[in-house]
Amino acid sequence: MTRLPSSTPRLEAASDEGRSVQGRLVPTVAGYARRAALPLIALLLLGVAWEAAVRLSGVADYLVPTPSAVGSRLFDDLGYFLFHGLITLVEALGGFAMGSTVAVLAAGVMAHSRLFERTVYPIALLIKVTPIVAIAPLFVIWFGFGSFPKMMIAALITFFPVMVNTFVGLRSVNPTTLDFFRLLDAGDAQVLLKLRAPSALPYVFAAFRIAVPLSVIGAVVGEWFTGDRGLGSVIIVAHHNIDMPTLFSAIAVLACIGLGLTGITALVERRVLFWHDSQQSGPVL
Amino acid sequence: MIRILLLILLVTAVFAMACGDDEADAPRDKVVFMAGFKPQANLPFVAAYVAQEQGYFAEQELDVEIRHASSGEHLKLLVAGDVHVTTAAATSVLKRRSDPELPIVAFALFGQKGQQAYIALQDSGITDLKGWEGRTFGYKISVPPDYLAMLEAAGVDRDKVNEVKVGFDPRVLTEGRVDVLAVFKSNEPNVVRNLGHEVVLWDPADYDVPNMGLTYITTDTYATESSDIVDRFLRATLKGVKFVFEEPEKTLDIIMKFAPKEDRAHQSFMLNTELADATGPVTDEHGLGHMTNEQWKALYDHLLKFEALPQPFDYRTAFTSSFLERAYDGNKLRWP
Repeated sequence: MTRLPSSTPRLEAASDEGRSVQGRLVPTVAGYARRAALPLIALLLLGVAWEAAVRLSGVADYLVPTPSAVGSRLFDDLGYFLFHGLITLVEALGGFAMGSTVAVLAAGVMAHSRLFERTVYPIALLIKVTPIVAIAPLFVIWFGFGSFPKMMIAALITFFPVMVNTFVGLRSVNPTTLDFFRLLDAGDAQVLLKLRAPSALPYVFAAFRIAVPLSVIGAVVGEWFTGDRGLGSVIIVAHHNIDMPTLFSAIAVLACIGLGLTGITALVERRVLFWHDSQQSGPVL
Repeated sequence: MIRILLLILLVTAVFAMACGDDEADAPRDKVVFMAGFKPQANLPFVAAYVAQEQGYFAEQELDVEIRHASSGEHLKLLVAGDVHVTTAAATSVLKRRSDPELPIVAFALFGQKGQQAYIALQDSGITDLKGWEGRTFGYKISVPPDYLAMLEAAGVDRDKVNEVKVGFDPRVLTEGRVDVLAVFKSNEPNVVRNLGHEVVLWDPADYDVPNMGLTYITTDTYATESSDIVDRFLRATLKGVKFVFEEPEKTLDIIMKFAPKEDRAHQSFMLNTELADATGPVTDEHGLGHMTNEQWKALYDHLLKFEALPQPFDYRTAFTSSFLERAYDGNKLRWP
């Protein structure tokens, strides 16, 4: 659920991963390139193996397309996929913003009120265990065909991890520090802003890393059921038409969106949490 | 003399028993049939249910496993060889034969008319196709060529119709999200009525739009290499269809065995609608399940005209009447 700050910072070692600036490790371009090289090579090898396996086995491309067919489809009509990808991205980010805002606010109230926690948490859990595909069609009936129902689904799917992590973060302050704040006669608002919120930030960002890709899934699920725009719609029509290259191209664009958003989240996390132990050992992504 | 007679009797009895055992133990040919959707009263599904329950498959020495598709995976499973026979609308057969050139072939037709129609709520004030202008039309996955043909036939300006993909929930109509909805005429009209709304229905057939309903399909390879099995499967299911016409209440009992969670009255509506569309001049002349080159050509030309086919191809590869011709003697089903 939560990535706790635990690693020991490499304060002095200006390694090939990055350079040390004021006690924290700042990754260099070379460091990023080196980290990206391995997964790219693995991806390339996987693609080659996939291509060879399909060609050698003679499996029809309407069952399993070759990566070259997918690549060809993708780049021949890149504008089409980028257009639909952009719509999905906007819906995902909109849903993420809505879900995260509500989740953080709810967690803030829960951290201060046991009664609110006992009331709201079971409902949040109920939302969490509800299969989103079962209720997504209803959103169309309730909210119409525009982007809003897709954002609502993305919001719903991102709400729980952000709320729980934020809540845990707000509750996980150092007791000694809290006593110190009390000793200084700090009010609830000061404790929240100066102590609880900074303590919760690593937990919040850990939740964001989970929630951001989830928001993309939520938007795609919403697009399955209605509308003719977005990668979810592209996927469902391609599935219906047994058009595997288009289907896999849309998945590839979705993967890029998911990776990009996760990378941006990690970068923002490094900027915001520069002071935190978790950022001293170099980026996770 | 008596001893000789006893010996002959004994030998005859043993021979008869041996023959009987052989017959009982003879392995039946295994067939996997996948209905193209959940268990319900679509006629080609029901034909298989009846053939199973009435023992027609067994009489044809077939061991048929009936499965149901949940999300359109049946065509993929068919071409992958996991399923031997499945169902598909004639339009889908032509589309998928065109691209991605699936090696599938229809060998029987259960809907002389297409399944799709269009409905509006009676209190919407829409009484004719011209009334669609300025309204919102909801289609399921892609804009149906039938719809385009109807607009053309009625002189409706398509630019004045707001088209939106709505999926499969008919409540978008009752809740006013759309004004006109593409439906399966054996399903949603009754669902909407059960929700308390009367509907106006437009059938493409009334506008001379060429269309056909559900077919049985298999792969080119299976049709060639296992033609005897396909022959027997078809005879058993056609006998099943005959039973459906003769025994509608018993048929509903059988349907409810396969679809116990469904509403019997709705299944009855579905079955009666499909039965009404299963017959026509072609079946009157040749027998149930029959189809002609003219029907397929008209549908193919219609799809080409409205750009519903990704690419032209030889439409005759999409169907074969050879199994039907062998199944009938004139218009009388050969049995067993």
